[in-house]
Amino acid sequence: MIRIRLGAASALDNPQLQKNMSAVIRTALHSRDNSVAEVANWETLRQYAHDVKEHTLARLDSYLKQLEKRVVEQGGKVVWVENGEEALSFITRLAHEKNMTKVVKSKTMLGEEIHLNKGLEAAHIEPVETDLGEYIIQLAKETPFHIIAPALHKSRQEVSDLFTEKVNMPPTDDVQQITATARRILRAHFLTARLGITGVNFGVAATGTLVVVENEGNARLSASVPEVHIALMGIEKVIPRAADLSVFLKLLTRSATGQKITSYVNFINGPRRPEELDGPAEFYLVLIDNGRSKILADSFLRQTLACIRCGACLNVCPVYQRIGGHAYGSTYPGPIGAILTPQLLSEEEAPEHPYASSLCGACYETCPVKIEIPHILLKLRERVQRKKNDKASHIPLEKWSMQIWAWGMSSSRRFAWFARLMRAAQGWFLKEKGSRIELPVLNGWTRHRDLPTIPKKSFREVFKPEEKGN
Amino acid sequence: MSRAVVLEKIRRACAASATAGLPDELPEFPSYEDAASKFRDELEATGGVFFDARSSDELPEILSQILERTGTTEFYWESEEVFQKSAIPYRLRDPEAFSRPHLVFSYHFKGKVEFPLVLNFKPYDRATLAAVPVSVSRAPYGIAETGTIVHSVTPGTGRLLSVLPEAHVVLLSEKNLLMNSVEFLDRTQLGELGSALTLVTGPSRTADIEKTLVLGVHGPRQWYVVLTS
Repeated sequence: MIRIRLGAASALDNPQLQKNMSAVIRTALHSRDNSVAEVANWETLRQYAHDVKEHTLARLDSYLKQLEKRVVEQGGKVVWVENGEEALSFITRLAHEKNMTKVVKSKTMLGEEIHLNKGLEAAHIEPVETDLGEYIIQLAKETPFHIIAPALHKSRQEVSDLFTEKVNMPPTDDVQQITATARRILRAHFLTARLGITGVNFGVAATGTLVVVENEGNARLSASVPEVHIALMGIEKVIPRAADLSVFLKLLTRSATGQKITSYVNFINGPRRPEELDGPAEFYLVLIDNGRSKILADSFLRQTLACIRCGACLNVCPVYQRIGGHAYGSTYPGPIGAILTPQLLSEEEAPEHPYASSLCGACYETCPVKIEIPHILLKLRERVQRKKNDKASHIPLEKWSMQIWAWGMSSSRRFAWFARLMRAAQGWFLKEKGSRIELPVLNGWTRHRDLPTIPKKSFREVFKPEEKGN
Repeated sequence: MSRAVVLEKIRRACAASATAGLPDELPEFPSYEDAASKFRDELEATGGVFFDARSSDELPEILSQILERTGTTEFYWESEEVFQKSAIPYRLRDPEAFSRPHLVFSYHFKGKVEFPLVLNFKPYDRATLAAVPVSVSRAPYGIAETGTIVHSVTPGTGRLLSVLPEAHVVLLSEKNLLMNSVEFLDRTQLGELGSALTLVTGPSRTADIEKTLVLGVHGPRQWYVVLTS
């Protein structure tokens, strides 16, 4: 079971982390907001993308079959897997057959989800992360802190220290120099690796095109230099037509980094063709379910799968802003992680995720495909609560207290009587005289919240004589 | 492997869904009166360098300037098409160079480019590719809205020549400059332009450390686009 509370508490107690995070997230929010403000028909684009995803998810089987057909026509191979273990066993078997001992990887959240690196290492295949942020994370033996910026929580000083320790770089606070070191090391890996693995942002059913969006060029290299390219794609990433890409790309890059477009948008149509001078001889598209078809079955929760992984909901979330990505303890952090994790795993494994939100609604406002994250959170809370209620040992304290509350609040006489009772009794609960109240049985609530002391007279008692006087 | 199982799960999950149709009208995308200057502005905003060679015979001079900026004396040309379609006069040291998978390059004494170009060749292999300082290709399209060029792998070319070097030069004809990505996708059947097609906008970049922008993390650090008539 994942416990967010523990991670959250330690993140809140880490001043260095708080400092690193706050400036970077502020920059990210500004870039996104400025970039979106330039687009007059942003809302039209959002609605369009929402409608395309809704339609596609409702007919996912036929679009996936269409995608498969087109990929195969272009000389690619398509592998369907139910879960991470199947994906891993396919990849490791292929690598072993071809005596491949190293993989150059570009950023893939799906790869994180199925613990690809761990699986490769266990099979004696060396995974090399080539995205700079992911490379930093790999050297630090951590997990990504953010969907878009995996090493967002690290200061340049911390990265420099890490490079000094792991790859013998002379200490520096020059980000250019750190980046140049990574380029040199990773270029050597690119030129010697025989297997490349990338993720997929969009799979176009009509043309069999796999679209990979990036800034560094490492995905382009991972898909081009090695003899074999494997693209990992969640089954929900298919879109029907090439024309839809214009809308999705605009929404994705502006939401993610505030860029009008990223440096590279790669369109991959199968392996190298006979008259081409380079490129992989073999191309595999691995279509991964890993719990997605289960989410698809609920027509309301299904919209969770419309996510294009832009990360905008993380930046805007008051909870993510404070506790950061690691506190969630899951592959996907932030609001999208809060709804995706309990559904991909189960409510029992991630019971706190639906509660890691203030339900302020900022995630919905910022979501480029209009996923109703707050409503989904409520629905998932309901599920968690139902599971609790079903247990024989469950004492419905919350239910009872709400019933008493409702009974008290629905009559002015009862309300006044409650207030008098509290006024008389509050002396026992006052933390300090005249400050705030701490109720021992409710201290899970009152420890972080102030209940003001109740004044000697209620508003009605003060108001009544005045009214008579006039 | 699990094709049938996965598909069956998806089919069952979708079975009862009422489906709204696909939206059939794309939202509006911007157009520009002066597409070339929009293209230039956007390209420069990403750290790319723009040269306008539409109205003059300045191409040799522009290429000389690029060599000076990159501090080298050689251009590696992607294909014969670059010369033909851009009307660059050339002469082959080895007439067979284009009919075989070779890297074709021109050497310019003291960084001074003169036409006709005299072309030499080297083998198209990884080691040679990795040492190429500046490569030149011709873009089938450019996109004004974002300062983007389209790079495609055509017969007789490869994916790596434009990615591995520190600097890359793209020749783009003004008549192939489109307003936005909708126009591009409307004109192109993806997959017919080779196995790999990339929209490239400016130099390779990263902001993974403290959101600080650094150019040239994996791909070219210097990115030049020359607009021709």
